[in-house]
Amino acid sequence: MPLPSRNSPDSAKRQRALAFKTHVEPELPVLFRVALTLTGSPADAEDLVQETVIRAFRALDRFDGRHPRAWLLTILRNTNMNMHRRQRPDLVEDWDAMGDPRPAFGAERLVSAEETVLDDILTEDLEAAVNSLDNRFRTVLLLVDVDRLTYAEAAEALGVPVGTVMSRLGRARDRVRAHLRAHTSSFGRTP
Amino acid sequence: MITSLRRMVTCHWSARRIGRYLDNDPTAPLAPAEVKRLESHLAVCEKCSGVTAEHRALSRALSRWSQQRLPDQAALARLHATLDRITAQGGQ
Repeated sequence: MPLPSRNSPDSAKRQRALAFKTHVEPELPVLFRVALTLTGSPADAEDLVQETVIRAFRALDRFDGRHPRAWLLTILRNTNMNMHRRQRPDLVEDWDAMGDPRPAFGAERLVSAEETVLDDILTEDLEAAVNSLDNRFRTVLLLVDVDRLTYAEAAEALGVPVGTVMSRLGRARDRVRAHLRAHTSSFGRTP
Repeated sequence: MITSLRRMVTCHWSARRIGRYLDNDPTAPLAPAEVKRLESHLAVCEKCSGVTAEHRALSRALSRWSQQRLPDQAALARLHATLDRITAQGGQ
């Protein structure tokens, strides 16, 4: 939705505020999940998103109305750095707070018998595997596979190139699979 | 000998693309020719199809992790209220 010109009367001001709300409102759950991954605490995540929304509104004149999620993720990342919050994704306090993802790996599909056996992954094994990762790898894995960001959105949230997201994601998944293979009886073994 | 070496090279090539194939991310889609080659290999290679099954199982497990409960509705409500306040003040 294009934003009205800055030099228009009061009605345009209201329209701009309304356009801002239209852009930001649907992104609040995503921003909250990403903030939770970056800060590791629901309270800090809420503070971070509040501050992000305020800063985004102040920066509205520099927003062209395209790709609001990418724009907001960039502001969230900069805000997080400016707030000097701890960035310890390994200390997510409440995994249950991270919900409403897009479907895993895209399309829904039928699950084979072999995969049903592989699905027998205990939550504690998975947590241990993810927590054993280095911060850089863990954060990318959480942003893409739990928060369901695209590669490009994760790159915006972290301020790194897409290629870096892809390589870190690949290594993170390989390491988690290796960990699960070593610690979960059914994972990696055909029935 | 040559056949097994060729299979090994294809396994290595496939291993580097399975994640992207399953993600189907708009930023980095595989080329149609790559998809065709990968799917042909997965149809005949037990090792690589096993790796693919592991990837899918891991993805579902991580997805379940985040689906266990709805997001904190009270926090989301406060964020919506903040947004309402900012836009109401900014629109005046």
